[in-house]
Order: sequence, then C-alpha cells, then structure tokens
Amino acid sequence: MVGFKKIIIIAVIVAVGVWAVAYFLPSEEKKIKKQFRLLAEWVSKDPGENTLTTVYKIKHIGTLFDTTCEFKVPVYSFSGNYTPDEISGYAAQGRLASSRLYLKFFDLAITFPEEGSAKVTLTARLTGKLNVGDSIDETHEVESILKKVEKKWLFSKVEVIEVLKK
Amino acid sequence: MIRFAGSKAMLLKRVVALEGERVEFRHGKLFVDEKEIDEPYVRYPCVWELPPRQVEKGCVYVVGDNRDMPIENHLFGQASMKRMVGVPLW
Repeated sequence: MVGFKKIIIIAVIVAVGVWAVAYFLPSEEKKIKKQFRLLAEWVSKDPGENTLTTVYKIKHIGTLFDTTCEFKVPVYSFSGNYTPDEISGYAAQGRLASSRLYLKFFDLAITFPEEGSAKVTLTARLTGKLNVGDSIDETHEVESILKKVEKKWLFSKVEVIEVLKK
Repeated sequence: MIRFAGSKAMLLKRVVALEGERVEFRHGKLFVDEKEIDEPYVRYPCVWELPPRQVEKGCVYVVGDNRDMPIENHLFGQASMKRMVGVPLW
C-alpha cells in the first residue's frame, strides 16, 4: 500500500513538472520573442515618419536593454559596453541618417543556460536607404543574451557572428 | 555552400585555401603559400590587395568568383568547416 502511494506521489510530481515546463517555458519564450519584435519595430522607420512616432520609438528602445549591454560587432569594428541611453542615442543617429529602415528577426532559437538568463541565436536582416542614397541590405547571424530583471527580459549582450574573417 | 545565418541564408563561394595555408592577393592575383593560383573562372579585372594571412585550424578560405567590386564590398574570408553545408551539383 505504501509502495502504491509512493508511485502515485511520484507520478503526480512528474505530471506537475511536465505541466510546469509546458506552461512556463513557452510563456518565457513568448516574452523574449516580444522583446525582439519590439526592438525590430522601434528601430524600423517608414519614409516620412512623423516626429511624435520618432520620439516615442527612440525613447522606448533603451527600455529593452539592461543597465549595460555588451556589443560585439566585428564586421564594423564596433564593440563595448553601452547604457540604454547610449544605445538609444546610437539608434537615433542611425535612424536619422536613413530615409527608411527595416529591421527583421528570423529563426529565433531560444535556450535557457541558467536561471534568469536566455541565449538567443537568430538571423537579423536590416534593409533600407540612407539619406545620401545608398541602399542598406545586411543579413547577419546574431547571438544575444537576455537577463530577466524584475520580470522583464532585457538585452545584456548582442554579438554579430563573424562568419567570414578576412 | 556556407551557412551564413540561421538555416536559410547561404553563400556560394569557392574554397581557395585550406587550414595552415597562407593566402594573399597581389594586384588582384591570388597567391596560396607564395604560389600564384591560375583562376580561369575569374572573368572580370580584379585589383585587390590583401596581405598574407594563415588559415586557422578547422577553417577554409573562401572567395567568390565575381571580384570586380572593391575588396571591402565583397564577402569573403576564413570560414569554419562547421559552416559548410554542401556543394553545387553542377
């Protein structure tokens, strides 16, 4: 009888564990995907974007990042740790230099290497046109780390993978 | 064929040097281990200059055949063997 009870308890624990994984994991993944969707939306710029929209987007880009975020972009020899304000500033400069700009993310693969940390590998595509007339069309593989801070997933590392090293 | 990003973005490039070999461009001509490589598949004039560099372990050096653009605009270089996903069937 005791053995039977034990089996029931173990079965219940396993069932609760399976349910918890099924319930909470997709939920966290959805939250992370939402951060990428917002980043893409706020970096992107339609032609003739009005000033209110520009101010709103620039103001909010920084809210997606941790107190410092490490950037590694070897293709542009750009690396270092930046605050949300600095990141917003760079984003504003990039948007200002472009008449239109579209950032899209594809193939997001999310893993959770440790509690409160998520590693995301994805394809990022940036298209658009600079004010000087040059077209932008860049595709890169990106690895990103997000940290969970007060129930919000914030970008703490963004690395553009250097596939071809000259 | 090199996996450039994710599972969909691929690059078709020619392998010109293997791990341990030294690769460079002099006046548009490709040199591997100091030896000029005959490249009949390069159709347009090329003026690239690239100082010699050794291909790291586990990597190959790949270059495209269309080299009439400035060197900084061309996607080429050392790629990990792990990113090679196939070859063209022609």
